[in-house]
Amino acid sequence: MSRVRAVEPWIEDPLVRFVTEAGARLTLIMTPSGQVLAQHGFTRAVDVMAAAALGAAIVSSTREIATTIGEETFRALNHQGIQHGIFLAEMATPRGPLLALVVYGPESSVGLVQLFYEDLVQELVAACPDEEPTKPVIAADFERDLHNSLAFLFGR
Amino acid sequence: MSLVNFTTREITCKIVYYGPGRSGKTTNLQYIYGCVPEDRRGKMVSLATRTDRTLFFDFLPLELGSISGFATRFQLYTVPGQVYYNATRKLVLQGADGVVFVADSQARQLDDNLASLQNLQVNLLEQGIDVRTMPTVLQYNKQDLPADLILSPSALDSALNFRDDPSYPADALTGVGVFETLKSISELVLKKLSQESPA
Amino acid sequence: MSEQFKQALDGITRVRGVRGALMVTDDDGLIIADAVMEGVRGDAVAALAASLSARMAKATVGAGVGEQHFLHLQAENGTLLSMPAPNGVLIVVLAENDVNVGLVRLEMLRAVEAVK
Repeated sequence: MSRVRAVEPWIEDPLVRFVTEAGARLTLIMTPSGQVLAQHGFTRAVDVMAAAALGAAIVSSTREIATTIGEETFRALNHQGIQHGIFLAEMATPRGPLLALVVYGPESSVGLVQLFYEDLVQELVAACPDEEPTKPVIAADFERDLHNSLAFLFGR
Repeated sequence: MSLVNFTTREITCKIVYYGPGRSGKTTNLQYIYGCVPEDRRGKMVSLATRTDRTLFFDFLPLELGSISGFATRFQLYTVPGQVYYNATRKLVLQGADGVVFVADSQARQLDDNLASLQNLQVNLLEQGIDVRTMPTVLQYNKQDLPADLILSPSALDSALNFRDDPSYPADALTGVGVFETLKSISELVLKKLSQESPA
Repeated sequence: MSEQFKQALDGITRVRGVRGALMVTDDDGLIIADAVMEGVRGDAVAALAASLSARMAKATVGAGVGEQHFLHLQAENGTLLSMPAPNGVLIVVLAENDVNVGLVRLEMLRAVEAVK
């Protein structure tokens, strides 16, 4: 069973292919501000958000370092651990820049991840639809729900 | 920018706690982290210096539950307050849906509050955002300190609250005003979301 | 690319029918040095050969025949050869199907010496 979950459905098929071919353990596709569009391998939504926040921060801060040394940006970053590697890269799509964060184990390699990442980018660019018009999503009487949720969270 | 998924009916919003150094932004998040049941929050990530000053940001993901039928998640961030960390403040501010400005109520900190508020405006403008369109709530923290050291909420309103945004007196260490602040910014952010692009 | 590695790879590519030779890190599948013909995607060959070699290494140990010394994979339109070298290096060769495998293997052994 696929463990891919996509907020934006057009990302799902390319991501499933990437995960299968590159042997990635965890993958996130997100906006540069850390909003997750699709994910593979994470079990809790809150863990996804933390990983995305940190991944987006790494890309943002290295972009700033790049600027100070006269580079426009770094194409990709790779952190090599003992058991896991982390691959982070930014891609241009018709919907604007997106980030990919890939965690891989010893059964894969940075070479494989890089190789299939290029295919992923091409497939995402091809699959990316035009910007959807935004629609109103929250009913006008959301205050009661919000109050109840926050009251529950704070034990009040 | 908030993320809305119509298929799975999910909303994710980013709220940034802004303000001068040592005004209590991290304390707000720590209090929230301590109150919220474990299954409704993620790990609190703190990128801090060895002396516990925020270096890059603190981050706390929250599951609010269902709001108008949408599973609603909030990402709470703080920025480092010290003047020299402006580059990271700009990064954290990217894509924010709402801002909580945590002011230090001490009278001698008024200039720092003003400088930070101005810095917020500049950083938003650099991202093409008019501060008037950004849902904002002010929190006047450290109101528990002796009265001769602090400014009253109304004095702080006159000095800092130019746009008449909602404002709350607080003592974030003991949690006074923390819930009210979060509730207020949540309402503003969700209200803006409900008003955007009428059908 | 160090002169030593270059000479070792040139020795391999001089064999008729060889399309490319690479030195690859065996754990991350990245190229250390390469000499490949135009049209050969060196990064793809490196990544996939390293992955294949890692799996084959598990397979040979699992089958009780010990460490792998040489991998010869014959496909429809070509041949892939790989040989582990010391210090986490893998020698990879892409060739035509009618290549003299014995000769290539000899040159690959020389390349292994160059890595030591």
